[in-house]
Amino acid sequence: MQKYRLAAIAILIAMLAAFPCLEPEVYYLSFMFSVFMYVILASSWNFIGGYAGYLSFGHAAFFGIGAFATAKAASMFELTPLLTILASIPAGALAALVALFVGYPCLKIRGPYFSVVTICFAFVVELTVKNIEFLGGAEGIWLKFMDIPEKLSRSILYEVMLLLMVVTLAVAWRLGRSRLGAGLRAIRSDEEVAETMAIPTAKLKIQAFILSAFFPGIAGGLFAYYLTYIHADVVFNINISILIVLMAMFGGGGTWLGPIIGAVILTVVNEGLSIFAQAEIARIIYGALFIVVTIFMPNGIIDFFRKKGGG
Amino acid sequence: MKGKRIKGFSLFMTIAVLCGLMLTVPAAAIGAGKPIVIGGSLPLTGEFAETAQWIEKGMRYWAEEINAKGGLLGRPVEFKIYDDQSNVGKAVTFAEKAITVDKVDLLFGGYPGTAARAVMPVAEKHKVVYVSMGGHMKSFQQGYTYSFGAPPLMGEWWYEGFFHWLATLPANQRPERAAVYTINNPVGLSLQDSIDRWTKELNIQVVINEKYNSPLADATSLIVKAKQMNCDILFSNGFFPDGVTTMKAAKALDYNPKAIVQGVGSVVPAWIKELGADGDYVFSGTVLHGKLNYPGNDKLNAYAKQKYNMDGYPLYFGFGYAWMQTLEQGVSGAKSLDQTKIRDWLKTNKINTIAGPLTFDKRGLPPEENFCTQIINGKVELIFPKNIRTKEPVYPKPAWKK
Amino acid sequence: MDAVLIIQSLISGIMMGMVYALLGVGFSLTWGVMHVIHISHAAFGLLGAYLAYSMLQYFGVDPVVSAAASAPLLFLVACGVYQLLIRPITRAKEVIVASMILTFGLAIILENVMVLIWNADPRVLTPTYASGALIVGPFYFQYPHLVGFGLSIVGITTIYLFLKKTYTGMAVRAAWQQPEAAQLYGVNLYRISMITFALAVSTAGAGGISLALLNSFEPHSHNLWLIYLFLVVIVGGVGNVIGTVLAGLIIGVITGLSMAFLPYQWVNLVTFGLLMIFLIFRPHGLFRQGV
Repeated sequence: MQKYRLAAIAILIAMLAAFPCLEPEVYYLSFMFSVFMYVILASSWNFIGGYAGYLSFGHAAFFGIGAFATAKAASMFELTPLLTILASIPAGALAALVALFVGYPCLKIRGPYFSVVTICFAFVVELTVKNIEFLGGAEGIWLKFMDIPEKLSRSILYEVMLLLMVVTLAVAWRLGRSRLGAGLRAIRSDEEVAETMAIPTAKLKIQAFILSAFFPGIAGGLFAYYLTYIHADVVFNINISILIVLMAMFGGGGTWLGPIIGAVILTVVNEGLSIFAQAEIARIIYGALFIVVTIFMPNGIIDFFRKKGGG
Repeated sequence: MKGKRIKGFSLFMTIAVLCGLMLTVPAAAIGAGKPIVIGGSLPLTGEFAETAQWIEKGMRYWAEEINAKGGLLGRPVEFKIYDDQSNVGKAVTFAEKAITVDKVDLLFGGYPGTAARAVMPVAEKHKVVYVSMGGHMKSFQQGYTYSFGAPPLMGEWWYEGFFHWLATLPANQRPERAAVYTINNPVGLSLQDSIDRWTKELNIQVVINEKYNSPLADATSLIVKAKQMNCDILFSNGFFPDGVTTMKAAKALDYNPKAIVQGVGSVVPAWIKELGADGDYVFSGTVLHGKLNYPGNDKLNAYAKQKYNMDGYPLYFGFGYAWMQTLEQGVSGAKSLDQTKIRDWLKTNKINTIAGPLTFDKRGLPPEENFCTQIINGKVELIFPKNIRTKEPVYPKPAWKK
Repeated sequence: MDAVLIIQSLISGIMMGMVYALLGVGFSLTWGVMHVIHISHAAFGLLGAYLAYSMLQYFGVDPVVSAAASAPLLFLVACGVYQLLIRPITRAKEVIVASMILTFGLAIILENVMVLIWNADPRVLTPTYASGALIVGPFYFQYPHLVGFGLSIVGITTIYLFLKKTYTGMAVRAAWQQPEAAQLYGVNLYRISMITFALAVSTAGAGGISLALLNSFEPHSHNLWLIYLFLVVIVGGVGNVIGTVLAGLIIGVITGLSMAFLPYQWVNLVTFGLLMIFLIFRPHGLFRQGV
């Protein structure tokens, strides 16, 4: 069974990786790029939000830090395309570093109070970027686009985002089965009990938080290059933070598959509705989706299907 | 345990396949018909819905009109408008969808400035003409060749008309001390540019020069400061919500400068409709106006009156219409839908829009022109240049009616 | 820095803070009593604002009257929402999470229904006194601020008295502190929850109207209001009426003072930064226990 599953995953990844070879139109590459991006964001958020139950509502901050760090580096040092893409890795590390400093005091705060601290944190970061011209300011940053055919450049970004998604999901897979993951689950079910069981809760939470900031940071860097012009209003948007949480929870927090399913469904449905329905009606249907799914699957989609499947 | 996992996995695969199917459907549906398809995205829902819906109405009016005349190049025109939900990332993806999947014949311009800034490079990469308001001067300095501001909403030029008019006043009647409050975003920064230049030239002392981040919850202390510093001109460089907050505070605190200049907040119909007499005497700029003596404006006014019961068409309705006029003349001038030919034709020929005759430079911009407007008795009146004046300016601003 | 500016900034900051508190108090109750995070709370507030706008526009009804009149209407609507949508999810493992997702959807629906009814143009609530002010010495009290402030005091006091003095209110408190014991004493948890929810939504209407007296509003404004609402509720302590009021005042004072002393560019940043620091040092808000 294990082998069977691994093979299926490998085939799926190979199919996704081979997709650009079919020479699809640029839009499909871009759309898949955004699907991968939201899978990365939701899955990374899941480390801290799903496993440990610390609902961060400020994850757009890490995404934005990655985006602005990459864009700033690219425009300041006039980086080549390859280096710009690589620059998103240290940008992700910067986001992780910020997570370390912020997480240390903030992860002591529990429940909804933690959520609100993260909202405040995201605003602080956004406003700092807006107010300091060097960081991008209220004007935003332009990047040079790749001097190669558009299909090729979008294919490159597609593959890189796919790679990042695979890495993120591999880490998520590993985490779900590691001592870290077990510790985080213990924290979620009862933090006091976890402490008495000599689980180093503070350390585990910080580790999960850093990991959950690192991948979105890199994704932000790639997104900046994808957009070629970034502005604080765009990448620090609180709607991104909220969407990430909803995606993970919609699918099922604290599971490996949940955030993936949540991110894919919500991104695809949202896009599909914008294409097929009148604007306001599309939004109303989208809203109704949240209601219907929650009423019938109050514990997330994964939980619903597991129960059905397992009897 | 394993069975459940497989179950979950098959679900995942099903969804993957479904999303693939969902995306291929529209591709097949298009391309067969004869009409010229004009595609792109507008923020029809969310934060910028108001403006976008006016732009859409203007565009649709243009289409109605041209189809009645027999279409463009003899073919009817048709829109394919996506709702980007006020999300710049989506604006970019939908522009790419319109260009590469729907294979639209023409692309239309989006909103707001940040979205235009992100879509302009997409248009450039795909070599597609992009006519919009642009994202202020900086966006036209990036070396894009397919983007046109026709007409643009150029923050850097927005107050030109006002300052030119101010310069015609005798020096002793001009204001001396300015309070400048600017929203901290691309529009605000662009507006500030002309204030910096002109206040130096006209010897106006900028006593307060501050930026604020949206949302501006309260403007009381802004007005108290301006009042205490005896500022006799107030620049409120912002949008509708902060503009309203500032005006209400100015009236409540009985602050009466010689002139109040508003950024882009007072140019939407809601300003007059919602504020009534309290919105009067505010100066601003414009590139479009129903009373400009260019062909087309009368028609638009009549339409706005009949359809929306408005005196004069709303600015963004006009923008939507004018961008389409530009595209239309580019296409009929080039006699082709070849984007590069349209671009080259537009750059070498003069076009006529409701904003007047326009020619474009290398950046895709017409020569600098902006008119000074003032709201008088609930109507947007043209003040300067003199040859287009519809009403004598009211200056200094009368005291607030209590 | 002179005293007039500081005091004037403080006055408007405090009035604003109280209005946030009115909007927040119901949100805090539903969260505290029912463990329901009601994301569409602010959207219902906005609905109240639009109703008041139309009442003023077409019938010349003062917003204060509308606030009182819309309360029973919203109460009924909320009872329906509770029965249809909220009650089914109380069996979720994590009601907080499920309620958040569900009411997020509800907020999207409400927003776009408002666009369809009132269109997307921004609105300003302008009763006759909209831009007047009461002048006391060198200080100006803007009438809309005063009215919003007054509505908040009345609204919050009503909620407070309801909880402290009425039988149903005491049952609500009992249900919040000791759900099992309350049930043993014959308290019907579903009925209590429905009343709490409906009451919360009806105060949201008044809160929305008060806020609309201060600022212009559009169908998407509820997103912004929600952020302030979260702040007020969390700083005050979930489920705590007095805490919410104090939190509103604290946020008002911070905003007011920073508007007097700092360049405006830094005001929002400092507000959020200080709140962050506040929560780090007081991780349960002002008060640990609710109601």
